[in-house]
Amino acid sequence: MSERELTEQDGGGGRMSLESALDVLAAHWVDQVVVGTMTANGAWMQRAPGDLNLACIGFMGGASALGLGVALAQPQREVWVIDGDGSLMMQLGSLGTIAGAAPENFVHFVIHNGVYETSGAQPLPSQERVDFAAMAAGAGYQQTASFSEAEELDAALDDLLAAPGPILIELRTRPGGKFFAARPTPPGAVPALARMWPPVAARLAE
Amino acid sequence: MAAQSIPATEFMAAIRAAGVQDVVLVPDTHQRTLLDLLMAAEDIRTVHCSTEDEAIAVSAGLIIGGRRPLMQIQHAGLYACVNNLRGVGLDGRFPIVMLIGLLGRDPELAPREDGGSMVRLAEPLLETLGVPSRLLDGVDDLHYVSEAFDEAEAREGPVALLVGATTS
Repeated sequence: MSERELTEQDGGGGRMSLESALDVLAAHWVDQVVVGTMTANGAWMQRAPGDLNLACIGFMGGASALGLGVALAQPQREVWVIDGDGSLMMQLGSLGTIAGAAPENFVHFVIHNGVYETSGAQPLPSQERVDFAAMAAGAGYQQTASFSEAEELDAALDDLLAAPGPILIELRTRPGGKFFAARPTPPGAVPALARMWPPVAARLAE
Repeated sequence: MAAQSIPATEFMAAIRAAGVQDVVLVPDTHQRTLLDLLMAAEDIRTVHCSTEDEAIAVSAGLIIGGRRPLMQIQHAGLYACVNNLRGVGLDGRFPIVMLIGLLGRDPELAPREDGGSMVRLAEPLLETLGVPSRLLDGVDDLHYVSEAFDEAEAREGPVALLVGATTS
């Protein structure tokens, strides 16, 4: 298959889809607390529903710090953050904060598709030039890796997760065209985080 | 009555009495003597954040995990973290207690009469957000520390403690 055909087929220069990346993560998920953000939220909860999920909705960029707090409170429990590239860019200092706190039980996945997908796929200011794995390594994360193919991610994930954290795993995906026109929280509804965290807290207290 | 400096040792006793396990902070010049004691304490963990937005979210995560954090920032940081205070603290209904230093306050004036906007706007902003606040203008006000945790848990939301004079 020619490079042109491959690019046209996957629409993203050889990058995996968000769904295929999350399929791999779900296959390796056991009982980790998962903090999801933006596009990945709904897709993740379809794959791994339950009372260990937290959603970062309405405070873009806060997923990594929220996950850090849980990880520091529960050192025996692994915490996964499924971050977005635009989200992490809004709180990039969290890389240094996480590296400094050095939680061994913290895994930071970053969906890197180069666009603000939920608002209509506008490009990030950094375009495609940012290397999140390199930035995390520079910040002081213990382990970093970057994947564009789901098969490679699947093959490497067990070994990566077995190493002490904090770990950042960049997931290079293609934009999926998921534009969210709906309000994050309908009027009168309890915000997602307020609904979700008490069950997680109860589960962690068991 | 003019604001009086609170000795850091007295502050530490109030923080310990409130059962605080973690202090999530962005350094505040106004509270530096307290910060020195906190960082030296073996029974209280300090979590150092790059931004006040992070401090809000880290505090929330600690609460989810069963810990009792106190967030320590200064007024400029309050202005910087309004969206997370709203989106995490208020919408998420987290009982986060914030210790906010009013750096540069004229101790002879009420904060909202101060000549500097960073001091003057703190209380009105908290009121706008619906976050209760208590002014710590001397050791006699330290009872507010424990009470702030009770109030935050009762109302399922953030409560602010404003440090009126530089700690000693």
